[in-house]
Amino acid sequence: QSWDMPTPYGDSTFHTQNIAQFADDVREATDGALDITLHSAGSLFPHAEIKGAVRNRSVPLGEFFLSRLSNEDLAFGVDSQPFVATSYEDAARLWAAQEPVITELLAEQGLIPLFSVPWPAQGLYTNGEIATIDDLNGLRFRAYNAALEEFATLAGAAPVQIEASNIPQAFATGQVEAMITSPSTGVNSTAWDFVTHYTPINAWVPKNIVVVNQRMFDGLDADTQAAVLAAAEAAETRGWEMSAAEAESMTATLADNGITVYEPSATLIEGLQAIGETMLGTWDAAASDSARAVLNAYNN
Amino acid sequence: MSRLLQKLYDVCGMIAGGLILCICLLISAQICLNAFGRFAPGILPSTIPSYADFSGFMLAGATFLAMAHTLRSGGHIRVNLVVSRLSQTTQFVAELFVLIAATGLIGYATYFMGALVVESVHYGDVSTGIVPVPLWIPQGVAAFGIGLLLVAVVHTLFDLLSARAPILSSPGEV
Amino acid sequence: MSDPMIGLILLGLLMALLASGVWVAISLSLVGLAGLVFFSNAPSGLVLASTFWGHSHSWALTALPLFILMGEILLRSRMSDDMFSGLVPWLSRAPGRLLHVNVFGCAIFAAVSGSSAATAATIGRMSVPELTKRGYPESLILGTLAGSATLGLLIPPSIILIVYGVATEQSIARLFIAAIIPGIMLMTLFASYVAVRAWMNPDLIPAIDETFSLREKFRASRRLIPVALLIGGVIGSIYGGLASPTDAAALGVVLATILAWTSGAFSWKLFGAAVMSATRTSCMIALILLGAAFLSVSMGFTGLPRNLAAWISDMNLSITALLVALTIFFIILGCFLDGISVIVLTTSIIMPMVSAVGIDPIWFGIYLVIVVEMSQITPPVGFNLFVIQGLTGIDILRIAKAAFPFFLLLLLGVLLICLFPQIVTFLPTYMAS
Ligand code: NA
Ligand code: NA
Repeated sequence: QSWDMPTPYGDSTFHTQNIAQFADDVREATDGALDITLHSAGSLFPHAEIKGAVRNRSVPLGEFFLSRLSNEDLAFGVDSQPFVATSYEDAARLWAAQEPVITELLAEQGLIPLFSVPWPAQGLYTNGEIATIDDLNGLRFRAYNAALEEFATLAGAAPVQIEASNIPQAFATGQVEAMITSPSTGVNSTAWDFVTHYTPINAWVPKNIVVVNQRMFDGLDADTQAAVLAAAEAAETRGWEMSAAEAESMTATLADNGITVYEPSATLIEGLQAIGETMLGTWDAAASDSARAVLNAYNN
Repeated sequence: MSRLLQKLYDVCGMIAGGLILCICLLISAQICLNAFGRFAPGILPSTIPSYADFSGFMLAGATFLAMAHTLRSGGHIRVNLVVSRLSQTTQFVAELFVLIAATGLIGYATYFMGALVVESVHYGDVSTGIVPVPLWIPQGVAAFGIGLLLVAVVHTLFDLLSARAPILSSPGEV
Repeated sequence: MSDPMIGLILLGLLMALLASGVWVAISLSLVGLAGLVFFSNAPSGLVLASTFWGHSHSWALTALPLFILMGEILLRSRMSDDMFSGLVPWLSRAPGRLLHVNVFGCAIFAAVSGSSAATAATIGRMSVPELTKRGYPESLILGTLAGSATLGLLIPPSIILIVYGVATEQSIARLFIAAIIPGIMLMTLFASYVAVRAWMNPDLIPAIDETFSLREKFRASRRLIPVALLIGGVIGSIYGGLASPTDAAALGVVLATILAWTSGAFSWKLFGAAVMSATRTSCMIALILLGAAFLSVSMGFTGLPRNLAAWISDMNLSITALLVALTIFFIILGCFLDGISVIVLTTSIIMPMVSAVGIDPIWFGIYLVIVVEMSQITPPVGFNLFVIQGLTGIDILRIAKAAFPFFLLLLLGVLLICLFPQIVTFLPTYMAS
């Protein structure tokens, strides 16, 4: 049997490399009985359509950015809520709390989560050092979702919508002056061309998720199912390690290319966490029971 | 009946034109906000939430709603270099084939676009941006537009059969 | 069935459908459907619907109808006539005269728009009627337009370089900088070709008998002011950081409307006609894009382009042989698929072999864009050909014939950057140090 698998990111992204390894593992464990063909970089379906394509069985399985679904239920987006989980340990605990809840939510759409791998934690890119939260005041700040827009407003910055592909030009022309994103994105967009300072504030640790269609999965024989689940578990473990290694090497690359990498000051962290608290209040008011369940499980 | 349908294609075409103007206005408003934020920061909000999403949805609406109107004005292009050298009878047969093939494909597409809308309604799908837009609304417009294209193709097929002569190669007559 | 056999069957089907006069968009979709139904196990109907929907609402695409609308407004205002009259004194001595408006007009507009279809539509809307009216030969009008409009892909901003940069994780800023000199090089090649043709055959180009004093030249140039304001405003908004390239298209429409009104001879009726004409043209292009996207997805499921690329990869060629093989491969694929699809469908296989032989990925990106530019003007599937047929009603095969010399010039461009890679790498290296 041959399965097509769309993923949104390019071949050099560690997520894609991890999934390629997953496909190899499955092929090997099933002696070629299940052959997964990877279609990376959105070549089969645009990112926005991948979940729908798995749901209607256009493809049996696929990968997407988990918190894209937070408009469906805030439980999907807890990992992108600023300053809830700010380290790999926290992120792992959060995923342990999140997994049963979203498994149930995805089951309503006939989807089974196979594994989820985080991006490196999100850091702050600026020109000049940011010592306290007041330094963000008045800066034009890149915001690509509702949470970031709220964050920028609370920090006194002006949120600006910029597509990822447009980041270098937007900085070069002064359209934006600060952004929060992962060190990987910073390296890929050669951030040293347009900013001078980076600080790992670890605002949040967002994740990608790989889901399989329930009916397609049920159509496999028991041995193949077991092989897929075993490979998925291995991919999750491997992916988390790759992510941590990526965070380290990409931060080093930033420094090698002349960006000043500095640890955030205690006052900055304090200010950021105060904003995080306020945002959590807004979040809580809009949250569904399932979303609150995730947060409660995480906090206890 | 034929004139009523033609009216419907044209009205939908005009709505499509209106949507393109709306995209233009929406983006221009955003540019004005950018300029304001640059020269007098903090007075006006700096962004129109999800303006890129809304522009995209309006673009999809404009594309699908204009399809029938464009077809009937001979705006969709085809290669007629080969066919135009054939006899009138052969041209007629070729056009019959063209319209039947188009009816088949667009009918197929209409059915499945409809299925897509039903699925979006069933699962309550919303867009992923800052403003959650129920996807069945823009998808429904798209499905309606492609359905109208199906009607226009079948309409043209009837025109061909009643004219008993090729009509596609001289777009003025369609 | 073997891959080459499947490929030939689908190609034959596409040719037969197009030749019998089936609309281009429908032909592409039908071939895509045939590929899915007969040569893959994907549910074709759902894939068709997801693809049509998924590709119809992309943000990058919204600039297209706006640029087309801008061209329609300019055509109906006095500005397009003014622009040509203003340029006549300056170009009266140049070999090829006003044909250079196509070349330089496209190059300037390419600095505003990211796609070649928008460039062809906007410049062609004005230049084709004006040049025809002035008695220039059809083949050169169409050829220069189709050829030069491909610069829209290379001269930044460029949608296709963004796609390549995202898919291969190369810096988009560096790719844009690397594209500048090759863009100027191609523009020079095109202009030289026009000049050589005019020089070899002086009767080809209608004469401009008057001679103009410098003072007259400057007086006539006043008529260029509105167009200069428009171009300056649009480019300025992008590089001044007020607008992204997509945003700038909307600004172009607003500015064009204001200037059309202030320069006189414009009315609500003309505005309405411009909007409706733009709506039909962009609908035509969008429907073909949807058909092409579906065909591309279908090819993704059947794995044909991937297997073909893998076959080249297995040959373990040297750099030179690899580049020759890839160029042939891309030219053939580019006849039948649109440029972005070609890149998206093959990078996974192509990039590893490119880096294995040590080719600079930034250089390769520029190489790819020039090769993809060729695909815009090769029949049967070439978007510039479609756009120009939409503008003029002239059949794509005749336009393709007129554009063939420019295909060869692009090939020459590829040869030049292969022989002298510095053309591409000089600026990015210089900027980095
Ligand atoms: Na361009
Ligand atoms: Na082509």
